[in-house]
Amino acid sequence: MAMPILQLKNVWKTFSLGKVKLDVLKGVSLDIYSGDFMSIMGPSGSGKSTCMYIIGFLDVPTKGAVFLQQKNVSEFSQDKLAHIRGRKIGFVFQQFNLLPHLTALENVMLPMIFQKVVEKERETRAKQILASLDLDKRAHHKPGELSGGEQQRVAIARSLANDPDIILADEPTGNLDTTTGKAIMHILKQLHQDKKKTIIVVTHDSIIADYSKRIIRIKDGQFI
Amino acid sequence: MDTTLFKLSIRNLKTRPIRSWLTIIGVVIGVFLIISLLSLSEGIKTAVLQQLRMMGKDLVMVFPGEISDVMVAMTGDLKLSDEDIEAIKKTKGVENVVPMAWKAEVMGYKGEKKTVLIYGNPWKDALEIYKRDMGWQLFQGRWPVPGKREIIVGDVVPKDVFPGMKINTEATIAGKKFEIVGVLKSLGNKQDDSMIGMDLEVFRQITGERKGAQFVLAKTSSTYAADDVVERIKTELQETRKRRRGEDLPSFTVLSSEKITDIVGNIMGIIQVAIFALASIAIIVGGIGIMNTMYTATHERIKEIGVMKAVGAKNTTITMIFLIESGILGFVGGLGGTVLGIGLAKIMELYFQVHPIFYLKASASPWLILFGLLFSFFIGCISGFLPARSASKLNPVDALRYE
Ligand SMILES: Nc1ncnc2c1ncn2[C@@H]1O[C@H](COP(=O)(O)OP(=O)(O)OP(=O)(O)O)[C@@H](O)[C@H]1O
Ligand SMILES: [Mg+2]
Repeated sequence: MAMPILQLKNVWKTFSLGKVKLDVLKGVSLDIYSGDFMSIMGPSGSGKSTCMYIIGFLDVPTKGAVFLQQKNVSEFSQDKLAHIRGRKIGFVFQQFNLLPHLTALENVMLPMIFQKVVEKERETRAKQILASLDLDKRAHHKPGELSGGEQQRVAIARSLANDPDIILADEPTGNLDTTTGKAIMHILKQLHQDKKKTIIVVTHDSIIADYSKRIIRIKDGQFI
Repeated sequence: MDTTLFKLSIRNLKTRPIRSWLTIIGVVIGVFLIISLLSLSEGIKTAVLQQLRMMGKDLVMVFPGEISDVMVAMTGDLKLSDEDIEAIKKTKGVENVVPMAWKAEVMGYKGEKKTVLIYGNPWKDALEIYKRDMGWQLFQGRWPVPGKREIIVGDVVPKDVFPGMKINTEATIAGKKFEIVGVLKSLGNKQDDSMIGMDLEVFRQITGERKGAQFVLAKTSSTYAADDVVERIKTELQETRKRRRGEDLPSFTVLSSEKITDIVGNIMGIIQVAIFALASIAIIVGGIGIMNTMYTATHERIKEIGVMKAVGAKNTTITMIFLIESGILGFVGGLGGTVLGIGLAKIMELYFQVHPIFYLKASASPWLILFGLLFSFFIGCISGFLPARSASKLNPVDALRYE
């Protein structure tokens, strides 16, 4: 049996709001295997995004541990986490989160800058990725000049920049109409099938969740 | 080094051109002030000291009044009496004494009348010192003959005061006829170059200033140290005054030429420090401008910072991006300020060449230019440091959630 590439073990996340302590994640455990296509589903405020940030090394658990290929990441330095994040994880957000002053091409090149990919290669690779998502005509447009669906495709292109193992998508269709949303999910499905990417989609929409192979439900900070 | 972060920073600055330029202008003003003032003051210092250094080390100057009264002495209200002059002459170690007296008088030349400053000194003794130590040289004609009504005029007189004035022509001073026998070469400042010189005896006759002098120059004998002679002159003067008038207060100043050069050099140094301090304040204000701009930038870009961290930017990378931005603001400001500052200094130099109140070289040393550029870049980085650090320390999740 293959080992999980990423594991959450009894992860707690507690926020302190003044004197009040808010437990957002209450001891969740999860094994993610290479090639998974998984949805995390739950109502608003249930802790989906918080969970996804921890999976993507953007946040650290208050209690419990995260293992990347059997190594406890709480022992990693911030710089190392940043490096892994850029190298192994691709993020797709509900609000697209493209840098508004950079063109689509430059947005896709950005994660490669942080991995010190040389400029020539950055450009070739980014153009390839954009072309594979049918965005070659849009390469030199800024996000403000693109439709929502196009922006989200650019965001997916950016998440692929360093050819990561895992793609984390937080409500990727939340700001799109149904048809465009379906197109986006179709792209993720293709990435899973053709490129063997591990894909985790956070959503509250069961139609979206149905694209995945495995659905995990979360409620009040616990998997059910 | 990879220039990518540099390009990224430039992109960021370009997205807010007005704010960037305004910030840069803030730095330009500070650097401009510091560079122009420093290069001018350095130029003035060099010019003045150069003139002072021409003097021999064996000269001693005696003024009436305290050293703080030099301005009063120059206007001619205070005088050294004939007894004082005698006392200086008698002092051991003094070889030669040249009293100098001056007064404003009306001078007429070819129907034109103007008030000029005339001075009298004993040409026989004076000439040797003036030629050797003050760099006096004839431009035209000859020196006045002692006892005769002859005058020698400064370089500016035939140019500006009485345009077209020729030697071997006549002028009237205080109603008396004089022959213009010579023109001096420029002495380096407009005031000296506008004066009219004559023999002291003649000066006393026509001005009615029968006694004393406003200034005495003493040449010391080479076997005595100038500073010792200074002390002896002081003692002599004090005793003379006590004897004759019962005065105790030493209302006179005795200085060796070296001492004067030191004093002037020090004053110039203090002025430069003061200029530097004041202009530094202007640069600090520019730096605060950079800091303000950078804090605003980090605040506006919180979400961007979160995104960059999410796609793999390290804290140091974020710090670099912001530091480069503030460094560019500082450097471009410094470049502009340096260019403008040196430009102004050069324009002033040209102006003083045309209107020689004194001859000034703007001293724009490569050192000063380098200082201007590095200093402003440094100010930019310093001012950008806190904002950059606060940006890099943002928690990525908080930054992403920030609306
Ligand atoms: N930094 C924080 N400080 C305090 N509370 C927080 C913080 N971040 C998240 N929370 C709270 O944690 C809870 C879970 O938030 P989270 O964003 O994970 O929910 P979600 O399931 O993604 O919801 P949605 O579907 O609306 O995006 C919410 O109640 C939220 O207010
Ligand atoms: Mg959420």
